[in-house]
Amino acid sequence: CSSTGDQDDYALNDTPPEVLYNEGLALRSQGNLKAADDKFRELDRLYPYSEYAKRSLVNMAFINYRRGNYTDAITSARRFLTLYPGNEDAAYALYIIGQSYYAQIPDITRDQRVTMEAAQAFSELIQRYPDSEYVADSRTKLIAAEDQLAGKEMQIGRYYLKKRNYIAAINRFKTVVLEYQTTRHVEEALFRLTESYYSLGVVNEAQTAAAVLGHNFPDTAWYKNAYALLNEGGYAPSEDSGSWISRAFDGINVL
Amino acid sequence: LVPVGPGPFSVTTAEAAVARTIEVRGNTRIERETVLSYLTIQPGRNYTSSDIDESLKALFATGLFATVDIQPRGGTVVVTVTENPIINQVAFEGNRKVNDNALRTAIRSQERSMLTRARVESDVQNILEAYRRSGRFDASVEPKIIDRGSNRVDLVFEINEGDKTGVERISFIGNNSFSDGRLRDVIRTRQSGLLSWLRSTDTYDPDRLAADQEALREYYNRKGYADFRVVSATADLDREQNVFFVTFTVDEGERYEFGDVEVVSSIPDIDVNDLYSEVRTRPGNRFDSLRVEQSVEDLTLKASELGYAFAQVRPRALRNYEDNTISLIYYIEEGPRAYVERINIIGNDRTREYVIRREFDLAEGDAFNRVLLDKAERRLNNLDFFDSVRISTARGSAPDRVVINVEVMEKATGAVSFGVGYSTSDGVIGDISVSERNFLGRGQFVKVGVGGGTDTQTYEFQFVEPFFLGRRIALSLDAYRRVQDSNDYRSFNEEQTGGGFGFTLPLREEELRLRLYYNIFQEKNEDPDSKSTGVGNCDTSRLSLAVCDSLGEYMTSLVGYQLIYNTLNRNINPTDGFYASFGQEFAGLGGDSTWIKTTAKGRAFHEVLPDYGIVGAVKLEGGHIHALTDDRLRVPEQFMLGGNLVRGFENRGIGPRDSSTDDAIGGRFYVAGSLEATFPFPILPPEIGLSGSVFADAGSVWDADDDLVNIVNGGPGTVLSNGFDIRSSVGVGIQWQSPFGPLRADFAWPVSKQDEDKTQLFRLSGGTRF
Amino acid sequence: CFTTTYTRGHVITESMLSQVQVGSSKEQVQLVLGSPSTVSSLDGEAYYYISQKTSTTAFFEPDVVDQRVVAVYFDEDGYVRDLANYGLEDGQVVDFLNRETRTGGRDYGFLTQIMRGVQNPSLGL
Repeated sequence: CSSTGDQDDYALNDTPPEVLYNEGLALRSQGNLKAADDKFRELDRLYPYSEYAKRSLVNMAFINYRRGNYTDAITSARRFLTLYPGNEDAAYALYIIGQSYYAQIPDITRDQRVTMEAAQAFSELIQRYPDSEYVADSRTKLIAAEDQLAGKEMQIGRYYLKKRNYIAAINRFKTVVLEYQTTRHVEEALFRLTESYYSLGVVNEAQTAAAVLGHNFPDTAWYKNAYALLNEGGYAPSEDSGSWISRAFDGINVL
Repeated sequence: LVPVGPGPFSVTTAEAAVARTIEVRGNTRIERETVLSYLTIQPGRNYTSSDIDESLKALFATGLFATVDIQPRGGTVVVTVTENPIINQVAFEGNRKVNDNALRTAIRSQERSMLTRARVESDVQNILEAYRRSGRFDASVEPKIIDRGSNRVDLVFEINEGDKTGVERISFIGNNSFSDGRLRDVIRTRQSGLLSWLRSTDTYDPDRLAADQEALREYYNRKGYADFRVVSATADLDREQNVFFVTFTVDEGERYEFGDVEVVSSIPDIDVNDLYSEVRTRPGNRFDSLRVEQSVEDLTLKASELGYAFAQVRPRALRNYEDNTISLIYYIEEGPRAYVERINIIGNDRTREYVIRREFDLAEGDAFNRVLLDKAERRLNNLDFFDSVRISTARGSAPDRVVINVEVMEKATGAVSFGVGYSTSDGVIGDISVSERNFLGRGQFVKVGVGGGTDTQTYEFQFVEPFFLGRRIALSLDAYRRVQDSNDYRSFNEEQTGGGFGFTLPLREEELRLRLYYNIFQEKNEDPDSKSTGVGNCDTSRLSLAVCDSLGEYMTSLVGYQLIYNTLNRNINPTDGFYASFGQEFAGLGGDSTWIKTTAKGRAFHEVLPDYGIVGAVKLEGGHIHALTDDRLRVPEQFMLGGNLVRGFENRGIGPRDSSTDDAIGGRFYVAGSLEATFPFPILPPEIGLSGSVFADAGSVWDADDDLVNIVNGGPGTVLSNGFDIRSSVGVGIQWQSPFGPLRADFAWPVSKQDEDKTQLFRLSGGTRF
Repeated sequence: CFTTTYTRGHVITESMLSQVQVGSSKEQVQLVLGSPSTVSSLDGEAYYYISQKTSTTAFFEPDVVDQRVVAVYFDEDGYVRDLANYGLEDGQVVDFLNRETRTGGRDYGFLTQIMRGVQNPSLGL
């Protein structure tokens, strides 16, 4: 049939894969990422599942990440992981996936779907390839991603606090204190709990929250504000050891 | 161990054996490690037949292999595979109406993936389905596989689209109270006609047909036919002519009115009488399902206001067949006690979280109330930021806790629009504007516009924050500049530059609103030939003394309020509802002019003869301006009246006039009214968008500022028709909703007029926005 | 005629409260009062049921008309040790600090939004 005219020469393009691969590498080192990407893509199409196709997949993932089209980077990396789960570059592919999601993390007033994907990729990397060279960076990126998730909870908590919906506010700040203890937001969460319980009149909870804040983060501005707030009413932060807040901090020395 | 049975699966007897080594055969492209990684059999450990089964399933699931065979040979386990061919290229031929990537997303065979017979078959069906969706029912698809050597193939789909299967005729059986034409407007499926190359709704689409049945049911239920039923909705395909005949058979049933209405509560300490005020179904009026739904909503809200947060309202209808009335009993009972645990908002990649969350009246921790959820969904849809808003509920951490998931699909809310218009009074006018309804995802509206015409230039900036200080107060800021050169209706150049801010406060939901605003603007009026600057050196051959008096530059700083009541069913071409506004402006907070201006407007629309789609409209407006201190009003500050309100007259063609120069001076009072009936053109099919109208207008403007009158009378001319004389006209108009925008032409014959008035028989206006 | 009152949070009636006394079990409390608005543990566990009544006139700020916190304290083996009641008068007036912990993440500029709107102008036929 008439259509195969132009495809024929494409199919018979028999430059051997290693030549294509080296051309790709050369283009990449010259910084001509677009051409390099096309070269690797063509190699992958002509010689799928060959040794060179495997290496070009990793290259495509890196190049697309560097060029900023993150969806292509993620699809290439994911295809590499499904085809070559045992390969030594698998950790790198996972790292590229994490980085691609991490670069797209929006501010806390937006949907944090991408942040969760980044956190998932990095924690999977830390857990499956503990001795890979990317674990260190993944750990820091994981903390930053979780900090962002905690930030979102805080933002919703503050929204409800301003509208005096105390149940909503307290439960949101409680989620931060219980599930995001290693993030910076836990200090503010404790302070907001002091404010919420205090304006509700449940003073003993307010005192406990302030006491834990003082015990773990004594020299923060948040503690000074908490202390000042309670002082106005003639109260002082006194830790009631049974409270869930102090129990949540018993085992872990956060500093 | 003797291997048993051929076939893609071959499995040995059950007892465990030890595999010293694993050998993989038959793989050309796929690596040994990849195959091994899917096996549950590990070298050096024992395995059972279930392991083999497991591995077979895993290997097959990858879709990489045509056949898989696992055979133990002595100590080693041999895995022989034959790989599926690789697709080198997927191509489509003969597709014009549906483009390549739309087809590519419809099929599952992708480049570089494995070709399987089953997948190609299902792809053929998917392509046919895509064509049926776009209204082409006799398309055919032929898959071709071209071998490229070394187990690589090209997959080509040869498509013969056939031409469009239109809807030849939509007919209704059993509708004796509404005409076929009227019901055709209710449904969205259209008959193929002249403009079918433009339209996409004149094809058969099963979902749209189902939606049409729902639309018919809703329409009838709202017009009193409680027993209405769609007996059948068939679309028979006529293969030769390649068209559909759509037939709706309906059973209207009787037309009902509301009988007596009762509110019964099973919650002990609810006092039922103070709930009756919320019921909108009054005995005697025509049955209307929407009123029932609104009553249910208002009753539930009122009950939760009285502290019964879990009250649920269930309406029960009792038909009385003799006098065709339906009596309603609203049962109020205690619903399940559930609380909102969490509200999750998903999919807002651009809109900020609080812009969505603030539309909810209920917060986390509050009692779960379905009516408040529906209200929030309605509000979110009205924002017009989203293609779709889906609110779903899921079980929380305890049996009486509910998690609410709000899933939004955002759409582009920015718009760059061009407009070109023509009207006999302003000539050709064009404008370009950039606007964003959801600025930076904060729900704010921003618009910047520039316009120009034969003798006008306009510049405009607008900003609206709908939730000022976190409450439902809309703060609006605007700035504008308008330059109008003199034309045959106005003998002086008028330039206005100004701005202001205002608050719109909801008094009763969306119906009643109060607007408080402050405006300040600088006005510059000049003699086009720049000879005269005031009464002193006024060139009275061209300019009236009153106009000369208004020349020069002056500043007006005013504060005002406006009360707006609006129940129109839609803002463009409303067919039902009422709009009224009353407002006053006080100029004099500084600035050069001090006056008080009162204006009132009223507009009512009603479907006079719904059967023929005739909409009646009554419009009435009036105003009065009064100078507070003893200095006099200027010409541009007084009311002008012309063709825009009373057709049949020129722009500024009515009212007090300087006899020597024919300049309109305007008056301190004005009133204008109009009676109009619009109807779709009888013979032509409705989708051409032509409609006609018959109207009668009337109005007057009178009593110019006394000082101005004295100034003019002191000069060569005198002020004529300064008294209250009603001018009126009757006429016909044609409106065309063309694909390029609404066009309107009016022919009006003045019935009563003053000799000095300027009449204008024909008036054309229209504009396009794209 | 423009004021609307809302009952927010947990719905607690006198009849419900009368069925909860010192010594009743946790399940009983959950059966009568429902699951708590928030839980905290003060040597044992405490259930807090928070309810609020606000009234809003047209567009003014809603003001809290009535606020009640019912606290149910449990001893170690889960029986009600003590009941406490905090009314509106116990509440302190707090104007909440508006300092926020800084967070990162990309934010959209004005132009990217407008340009995205231009990419698919629709005739809206």
